[in-house]
Amino acid sequence: MPNRASLGLALLIMAVAGWGIYTALEWPLKAKLFPLVIGIPLFCLAAAEAIWAVFGNEAAGAAADFKLSEGQDQGVVPRRTLLAAGWAIGFFFAIVLLGFQVAVPLLVFAYIRLQGRESWLFTAVFTVAVWAIFYGLFDLLLHLPFPPGLLFGWLA
Amino acid sequence: MLEAFVDGLLLVLHWKAFAFMLAGIGVGFWVGLLPGLGGATTLALMLPFIYNMQPVEAFAFLLGMHSVVATTGDITSILFGVPGEATTAAIILDGHAMAKKGEAGRALGAALASSLIGALIGAAALALAIPIVRPLVLTFGSPELFMLAVVGLAFIASLSGQGARGMVRGFLAGGLGLFLAMVGQDPQAGVARFTLDTLYLWQGLDLVPVLVGLFALPEIIDLVVRGTSIAGNVPAGNISKGALEGVKDAFRHFWLTVRCSLIGTFIGITPGLGGAVAQWMAYGHATQSARNTEERKGFGEGDVRGVIGPGAACNSKEGGALIPTIAFGVPGSTSMAILLGGFFLLGLVPGPDMLTKHLPVTFSMVWTIVLANLITVALCFVLLNRLTALTAVPGHLLVPVILVLVFIGSYTGNNNYADIVVTLVFGAVGYFMVLAGWPRAPLVLGLVLGKIAENYLYISVARYDWAWLTRPVVMVLILIAVAVVVYPAIQAWRQRSRA
Repeated sequence: MPNRASLGLALLIMAVAGWGIYTALEWPLKAKLFPLVIGIPLFCLAAAEAIWAVFGNEAAGAAADFKLSEGQDQGVVPRRTLLAAGWAIGFFFAIVLLGFQVAVPLLVFAYIRLQGRESWLFTAVFTVAVWAIFYGLFDLLLHLPFPPGLLFGWLA
Repeated sequence: MLEAFVDGLLLVLHWKAFAFMLAGIGVGFWVGLLPGLGGATTLALMLPFIYNMQPVEAFAFLLGMHSVVATTGDITSILFGVPGEATTAAIILDGHAMAKKGEAGRALGAALASSLIGALIGAAALALAIPIVRPLVLTFGSPELFMLAVVGLAFIASLSGQGARGMVRGFLAGGLGLFLAMVGQDPQAGVARFTLDTLYLWQGLDLVPVLVGLFALPEIIDLVVRGTSIAGNVPAGNISKGALEGVKDAFRHFWLTVRCSLIGTFIGITPGLGGAVAQWMAYGHATQSARNTEERKGFGEGDVRGVIGPGAACNSKEGGALIPTIAFGVPGSTSMAILLGGFFLLGLVPGPDMLTKHLPVTFSMVWTIVLANLITVALCFVLLNRLTALTAVPGHLLVPVILVLVFIGSYTGNNNYADIVVTLVFGAVGYFMVLAGWPRAPLVLGLVLGKIAENYLYISVARYDWAWLTRPVVMVLILIAVAVVVYPAIQAWRQRSRA
């Protein structure tokens, strides 16, 4: 799996760097100097990593960085990963359509009830508490501008 | 001089200035804890409140607030893996790994102790360096500043992976960061580069949405996959004892703490590099302190030195950044540029006057940094048990709250929904980088340094042609960059031949 992900990333960088170099060729020297200085070695390094990913050892070159938890049931990992991504993307659409003011309690309520399977009472209390902190801190105290969702504009 | 030093302390201890400092600490404490809402933004928001204050009160308020933001930002980074500040992302790598192993108390103890030592060293540097710093800063032109950026990138790219392939991945991530930094209007010719024909990208990619996505979303996905609390089923142990152990760690690796503090101070002094660079350079240096490749493997998995290094550098840079701001009116970072605005609002002109006529005010700033950090660290230790208990909260309660903070943090920088899209995109990039075993730190450093490096490179070439490469300081920095890349290979070779 790490090698497949690494191959994917290397190919993506090759595509981005290749596109960058091709696009930069039309610009004046002032604008293209840095893109070419960075883009060409980036493309070559990505090609080297792609070859390494196809023919090399999967465990080689591990990073000094956060690592995903091991020992999970491999059957549930892809499903839960997609589920997490789904919640994040869904929250984004809720923010755009309903605004932060509605999307925040909606996400908290739905997640705790559906994902955490907590009781209705606990879910309601927790949601109100989070919403109160959100509203008190960001809206009342810091006056951060949170526009209403697009849906309200369409309905008005 | 000594009289002004004591006067500075007395000025801060006056009840009104002290009360303003406490108010500043209160604001900074929470701003640091909240992801995305940065110290610079808050400084800008608070600037209008200083109109009616005396200079000492105003700086006690602003600096009191600003100097604790990095300290409490470390707490969010360690406990939740979400960067509390753009300047506290590096501490996640080992600090959050320790929290997941049930060592949150130790990680926090180490971070707080190293932060305090760093802040004290930064303040001492400010006090000592004021009369002698001018020649040092003036010897650095664009070529030297460009090479300093290259050294920083070489540091982190070569040290964040194992072996030749790890190094290639490090440089790939760094190169990608530099490439992403080119997005937006080019400063020399005005060409809109890689903007995908959108107005949003003309300004370039904002650091906060990228950082939040890159670091927070993979952690959230992992938390959902595990279905447990952050610390999993690992018991938190005796937190106070753990914190004490962390404090001891900071003294056990005292010289590393001091060296990283000096790195932070130096980066702070250097105009244009900023705190986001200091933490990664310090992390790179901490990684280099590993005696062999086996020991280096522990970094990223919860090595306390990976907490101490960035913790110290993050707080020491404030004292350093104040030096060029006060002495020459050249701000060392965005926050200092905003603070410079404060000088003018109060009718003070940075420069010789601050070192003669207003010397007690200058020293009051040194004392504010010292006192604000002492108070904050003491407060954090008092609240440690409550803070660490958060790592035992079930994941399904934490995930929605962290998601809310991540999205608000990402949105509030520019009040633009597109920033959340950037967060989601970089969340996916970060997840695949983690999955593939690629380091994320070089990408961030590349993104931070990209614009600065391009600017300095262009000025160097335009001003000196290729002769800039022969300047003595540039040649020394080139040698350091080469040594940084070659050193791990030599270390591995020596280890193999010994075996």
